[in-house]
This record gives sequence, structure tokens and C-alpha cells, in this order.
Amino acid sequence: MKSLRMILLILVIGSLMLVACGGDDAADTTDTGSSDTEVAAPAGEKVQLRLWSHQNAAFQEGNQAIIDKFMEENPNIEVTYETFEYDLFIQTLQTSMPAGTEADVLELFGTWVCSYAAGGRLLPMPKTVMSYEEAQQLFYQAPLDGYYCDGELYGLPQEFNLEVGGALMNPALFEAHGIAYPPEWNNFSEMIADAAQMSEYDGETMLRSGFNYVTSDGLGFALTAAILQQGASYFAEDGRHFNFESPESINAIQLLMDIAQKDNVVDPILFNDDSNWVGDSFFAGNVAIGFVGSWAAGEGLLNYPDMDFDYLQIPPYFGNENVFAADAGWGKVVSVNTKHPEEALKLAKFMAAEKANALVWNTSTATIPALKELVASPDELLAKAPFLESTFSLLPNGQYLGNLTDRDQLWYEIIYPHMLDAIQGNITAEEAAKNINTEANAMVDASQ
Amino acid sequence: MAITERRGFRILKPAGNAAGQKRFVVAGLTPIMLYMIFFAILPMVWAVALGFFDYSPIRAGSGFLGLGGVNPFVGLDNYRAMFDDSQPARVFRMAVRNTAIFAALVLPINLLITLPLAAVVESVHDRFKRFFRAIYFMPTISSSVAVAVMWGYIFNPSQGLLNTLIKAVGLTPPKAWLTNPSAVYFGVPLAMIAVIIAYLWQDFGYNLVIFIAALQGIPSEIKDAAQVDGANAWQTFWKITVPLLKPTLLFVCVLTMLSSLQVFVIFDVMTNGGPRNQTTPLVMSIYENAFRYQNMGWAAAISMVLFIMILIITIIQFRFLRTDWEY
Repeated sequence: MKSLRMILLILVIGSLMLVACGGDDAADTTDTGSSDTEVAAPAGEKVQLRLWSHQNAAFQEGNQAIIDKFMEENPNIEVTYETFEYDLFIQTLQTSMPAGTEADVLELFGTWVCSYAAGGRLLPMPKTVMSYEEAQQLFYQAPLDGYYCDGELYGLPQEFNLEVGGALMNPALFEAHGIAYPPEWNNFSEMIADAAQMSEYDGETMLRSGFNYVTSDGLGFALTAAILQQGASYFAEDGRHFNFESPESINAIQLLMDIAQKDNVVDPILFNDDSNWVGDSFFAGNVAIGFVGSWAAGEGLLNYPDMDFDYLQIPPYFGNENVFAADAGWGKVVSVNTKHPEEALKLAKFMAAEKANALVWNTSTATIPALKELVASPDELLAKAPFLESTFSLLPNGQYLGNLTDRDQLWYEIIYPHMLDAIQGNITAEEAAKNINTEANAMVDASQ
Repeated sequence: MAITERRGFRILKPAGNAAGQKRFVVAGLTPIMLYMIFFAILPMVWAVALGFFDYSPIRAGSGFLGLGGVNPFVGLDNYRAMFDDSQPARVFRMAVRNTAIFAALVLPINLLITLPLAAVVESVHDRFKRFFRAIYFMPTISSSVAVAVMWGYIFNPSQGLLNTLIKAVGLTPPKAWLTNPSAVYFGVPLAMIAVIIAYLWQDFGYNLVIFIAALQGIPSEIKDAAQVDGANAWQTFWKITVPLLKPTLLFVCVLTMLSSLQVFVIFDVMTNGGPRNQTTPLVMSIYENAFRYQNMGWAAAISMVLFIMILIITIIQFRFLRTDWEY
């Protein structure tokens, strides 16, 4: 009898703890999808908001400066800024969202936004705060469309994430090989010819790559850009499935294979995502032209202040126009669980859409602005990050990548392994195209 | 407490009544039991449950704890999908294979190194014994990340110590130890061999110390008796020492197998699962699916497979190495 009582006692304690843990779930149901759950702060008390971002000194500096300004202008609101190491940030988001304990305002990468929005985790931006049409006037289309899901705007972008169209350049290596610098390439072949000249081998071992483009991010963006530059699309007619088996796609894969296998600008066994990653190998002096996003130049300025390098445009793979597809970069979104949606949305808009604040953020982080106005008068931004100038003329050519179902899976588990296989000479361009197409469409089917 | 004598043993008898002792046991054990329930058993139950759902934490499900609605119940679909021809299923099967290869190679090689080495270290003078024990144990207390980074440098194709040494003796080193998918020896990728070398280097000191301790615990009379009966050193080691080490062998085998099946860090840092997933172990696959691709249901199903693998292997080890005697 006593044992039974003890078991019952433990069960009661356990149940109470479960109820306590699940308390926020009840709040979830009342809050979900509605923006009219504003909880007014008691008279005289400040509205408490929390903002989460990943840890990065430059990002933290920019965010904190804008938050301080926001609190000065809104003395009734107090914002607590909390940061997490990058991997922990993702895990914390995933564990806190089901519990409803995430911050009111979140710094999210644009590519993730529609997944979170479709899962009912984000608050749509009411038209009274900003309509999509208004946002289109303010922001570049490519980053903005990452935040526009099923006809609703979920947050605002701060960064135009450019992974394609530009590359890190090592002027010393150009000069050492008697190649004019800055280069004036008329087409992609001219750039590859110079890169081949700058590649160096010790027997069969490549010591220096003239053009390192073999990265999990780079290959996906190079492939999509090369398809678009031939006037084709990587989407099938239904706009949901993919078409990576088109002649244009095979051409693009073949081009990316040839420059490694025939022009020998990179040894893809020694230079890839897992070995001699482009950013590391470039700043170690082992790469002459490093194909990577402009953000790497910002990190280079911080981490390698003594190294002389540039970030310049590279010619299009096909044709004359540098058309490309881009990810939406970092921006601010509001959690559906916020108890203060009005103030949270106000903070998100304040940080991303007001020119002076966007300037502070892009200047601190040395990122390409999503806000068009900053590119129109870029002096202050360029004083901090002069390498951004070469990217500005590219921006109008960018389109959003589109709904890729699961961008990370497509890029890292499907495109990269098969492209790497092809570039390493293990399969043909046709086989790579077929494998990518089959697996990408299987991913879409599995998600439906 | 009152101390009484019975059949020559000193027995501690509780001074209070049995109810008081029960209260003490309950008060002492309940907190840790609650801790285990909430931080070990419930998460395990949660993982089992998630394996039956297409669950992603970025979707707000409509049912209890977010299960249901956009996180639907899929029954055994996650388990059936493991046999599909899809890309995630192929990566999963490769991860099972990689984990099995890793564990199957690490355990015997580790025993082949540590057991004879322990016998040698045990046979030297005490002063040297401590020295060797400390030297061999040092890698074990090093951070796995540091070990992985260090071996990454050693295996570097152009500036690495290993290739430099191989070239110095006039041989041709492999083009790339960690990133060449075409380099496969006896069905084992070169990158896997490289990681096994690094892992063994870090791990063997632990088993060595355990074997040394076990060897010290074997009564010298037994070995003396064998020698009196005419056994030579090899026969004494093989027919006396090794059988007497069976309980320790069981312990070492179980622990080494468990840690081999759950290995993650050294793969993550040295190869990140590459080339072509040739070094993706199951734990990395679980981590990637759960936290990178947010397929928590799929990741939970994989974790159940790993759990069953570990359970079966451990039961087999217990069956084969169990002893019913002590010395």
C-alpha cells in the first residue's frame, strides 16, 4: 500500500512537472497565427522584448548599436539582446520554438524563413507595418523574396547574400606571374587562361590553385547561375520540381568539369569543401582567385588585415550578362509567440528598413545591403568595406533562388556530392545531371 | 548503528526501524531517479515516439507536444524509408556500413595493441612502469578536437609530416589521405583508415591502463604454479593470463565497442564525413538530419537503429565473454 502511495506521489510530481514544462504550449495555441494577442505592460512598466542572433562580433556590434538607439527613441520598451554560438543558435531555435520560449525578434537567414513561416513559427508582417509592394520599393528583389512566402511578408532582409559573380583576388600572385592587375577579362575563358598560368604543382601534388571554385556553396550557385545565363531555368514547368537534366544544365556541369580537368586550375581532390576550403586556402596564399561570397572578404579584412587582396567581379560563364540566383541573406523576423507583436514588428522594421540603421548594420558587418538606398549613396559603407563596390553593379541582375523545398539538402547533399564526383572525373556531366535531377525531384516528392 | 557478530562477520545493523530505513532510501534515491526520469528516460521515450512521426521542430504541429497536423504520424514509414533508393536512405545505409567498419576494425586493433603492450609495461620495473603508463595515457586526456586537428596536419598532402617522411624514404605517398574518394584498400576507404589511426592513437591508452591494472590483480601464485608445471612465458600468457583477464576483456570490449559506435568528433573535424560520405558515421548522420536539415523524425528513427545495433552487439559480447568465476 505504501509502495503504491509512493508511486502515486512520484507520478503526481512528474505530472506537475510535465504540466509546468508544457505550460507554454497552451499559450502557443492561443497565439498562433494571430497578431492581436498584445499583452499590455502594467502601467509604468516597460515592454520587455528579447532579440536573438548568432555570435559574430561584427553582427553583435551592429545589432547592439541599433538596439540602443531603438531604446532611446522608445523609452517604454526594453530590449534584451541574447546571442548564441552559431550551431547552438540553430539548436536553441529548434528546441525553444516548440516550447514557445524563443525571443520576440530573431535574426534569421533568409533561406530558412519560408520553412519556419510554413511551420507556423513566424508572425506575418501586417500591411499596416509594411506591405510587400512597399518593401519592393525599398529592398532588392533577391533578398526580399526570401522573406515573402505564400503571399505574406515574414520579416525584412538586411543583407543581400551574394555567393556568385565575384571572387577574392591575390594581386601579388598576378604580378608574380606577369599578369596585368587589375584584370580586364572579356570573358570567362580569359580568366581561366590567367588562372591556369597561376596554378602550381610539385609533381602530381597541386601546391597552388589558380581558380578554386570547388565548394559546397560555390558549386550550387555556379551551376544555377550558368543555367540562367544560357536563358534556361533549373525549375521544371510546375515551378516546384527541378530540371537539372536540360542541355544547358549539362553544358554548365561540363564547363565546371573542364576547367579542373583540362585547364587544371584546381585539383578537386586536394581543394574542396573538406580540404583547403577556398577561404582558408586563399588567405594562406594557396589560391590566386577564390570563388566565394563577398562576406569572405569582410572576414578576411578582420582576420588577415596585413594581406593585400581584392574582391572583384568575374566574367559570366556564358554570354555577356552576369545573371545569377541568390539566397536571401540575414534579416529580422518576429516570432509568432511574441506577447508584444506591435513592438516586436516595430523593432524589426526599425533595424532593417530605416536607412540610418541599415547603414550601421551593413557597415558593422561589411555585408552587401538589401536596402537599395544604401547602394545608391554608398560612401560611408565603402569607407569600411571598399571591396563591396565591385558587387554593386551585379545586384540588379540577381533573382531569388526560389522555393527549393530544402535548400541545404539540395545544395550540400545532392548538388555538391555529384558535382564533385563529376569534377573529380568519376562520372560524366550527363550522369551528374541525371543524379542531381533524380534526387532533387525525389526530395520534392517526399516533401509533398 | 549497533555492531553485532554473527558467524564470524561483523554486521552493521540499522538502529532504527525498517520504515525509517525505507524513508532514507526513498529520500536518497528519489531526486536522482526524478533526474533520470526527466533527463534520460523521457528524452528516450520522446526519441522513440518521434521516430513514428514526420516531425520537424520548425513546424508547429497541432497535437500533443506538437505531434500531429503538419508533423504527421507516419507509423513505420521512417523505418521503411531506410531501405528506399532515396538519397537520405543511401546516406543512412552508408553511415551504418561506415560505423560497422570503424567499430569492427577499431576493437581488434585496439586489443592487439593494448593487451601485449600492457603485459610488457607490467613486466618492467615500477619506476618505468609509471613513466610508460603516463606517456601512453596522455593522448586519452587530450581533447578529441585537438587530436583531430593535429592528425589533420599530419595527413596534409603537401605539408604533412607523414607524406614528408614517406617521400624522405623514397616512396610515393598517397595523393590525399582524407579527401580522395578513389583511394580504397581492401574495401576500406583511405580516409577511414586515416581516421582509425588517429582514433586508436588517442584511445589505446585508456584500455592499456585498465589491462595493466587487471594484470596486477592476477595472483602471482597462479602464474608460478603454471611455471612449476612447465609452462613457458607464451603459454603462461595465453593459457593463464588471458583467460583470467576475461572479465576485464568483457569490460574493455563493451566500452570500446560502445565508444566506437558512438564516435563523432574525430570524424567531424578530420573529414566532416567526406569524401563522398565515406566517413560519415551514424551519429554524424543523426546530428546532420536533426539539426542541419531539421528532419527530427528521421534522425530519431536512425538513433533507434543505432540503439538496437549497440544493444545487440553488447548482448553478444556479454554472451561470449561472460565468466561465472572470480579469483
